[in-house]
Amino acid sequence: MATQRVLPQSKETLLQNYNKRLKDDIRSILDNFTEIIKTAKVEEETQVSRATQAEQDHYEMHVRAANIVRAGESLMKLVSDLKQFLILNDFPSVNEAISLRNQQLRTLQEECDKKLISLRDEIAIDLYELEEEYYSSSCGQWDGVELPLCEAFHRQDSWGSPEMTSDPSRANPEDPDNLGSQESMQRHLNSHDSSTSEQS
Amino acid sequence: MANDRLRALEDVEKEIALVLQSAGTIVLELSKEKANASLLDRQLNQFQTSINRVESELSAQIRYLTQVATGQPHEGSTYSARKDCQMALNRAEYARVKLGELGHTCEMMLDPQT
Repeated sequence: MATQRVLPQSKETLLQNYNKRLKDDIRSILDNFTEIIKTAKVEEETQVSRATQAEQDHYEMHVRAANIVRAGESLMKLVSDLKQFLILNDFPSVNEAISLRNQQLRTLQEECDKKLISLRDEIAIDLYELEEEYYSSSCGQWDGVELPLCEAFHRQDSWGSPEMTSDPSRANPEDPDNLGSQESMQRHLNSHDSSTSEQS
Repeated sequence: MANDRLRALEDVEKEIALVLQSAGTIVLELSKEKANASLLDRQLNQFQTSINRVESELSAQIRYLTQVATGQPHEGSTYSARKDCQMALNRAEYARVKLGELGHTCEMMLDPQT
């Protein structure tokens, strides 16, 4: 059971005001309704004439009915104020709502990224095959500066990464632009890696 | 949790309307020459039940607020999660647009007459 906190004066005053309004409005509805029912009873003996008494009773019932309606509207206003107070100050439920919303948004984001990564992997496979096909045909001629993906993977498999970066003299002598090719392969692989890290 | 309390307050509003409606029905029935006693009893029970329910529910809500209210503003936010999600959706949209352009380019290449 939560202990009573020392609220700021304004909040405590506000809540006490809510209590008072509730009690007053309920009391007003009950009292006015009871008086209307009492007034509805037809008196045999009256101090004034029957017509005057009827007119007075009629007016009194009007006023009491208006009081009941006013008290009802005041209760509706109180409910509206309580709703507003609850939304702003009910921290447990606000915290729960925030964490639930965060969880939903994060789930959606992870799902979106997962699908993008699988799409990237599929397209990379297709791109590999397309490049292999294209550059092995008579139309595809590469100048050795920007390696196609298939050629980059072929070279990486045949050389091995550490040997390539540490000892350039052991590179393929048939390739005149070997250093540029190495840089371009690294650049090509790095660009794929950086796009991966951006998406994750 | 928040929705339950707000829903309870909305039910209280309906109860208040029911209080006024049953009070009006009772007075209307009493105004007739021959009042229906069973209807009067039913409406009176309805009136008493509703008004007690309104009072108890609103008192409980005010008691709960007295316990949990701190007087400080809440500084929580879902902004960062919303921003991350929005960026993920932007990434997906960008990929979709680029794939659309690629598909269009392929179609143009395959059919040079268009």
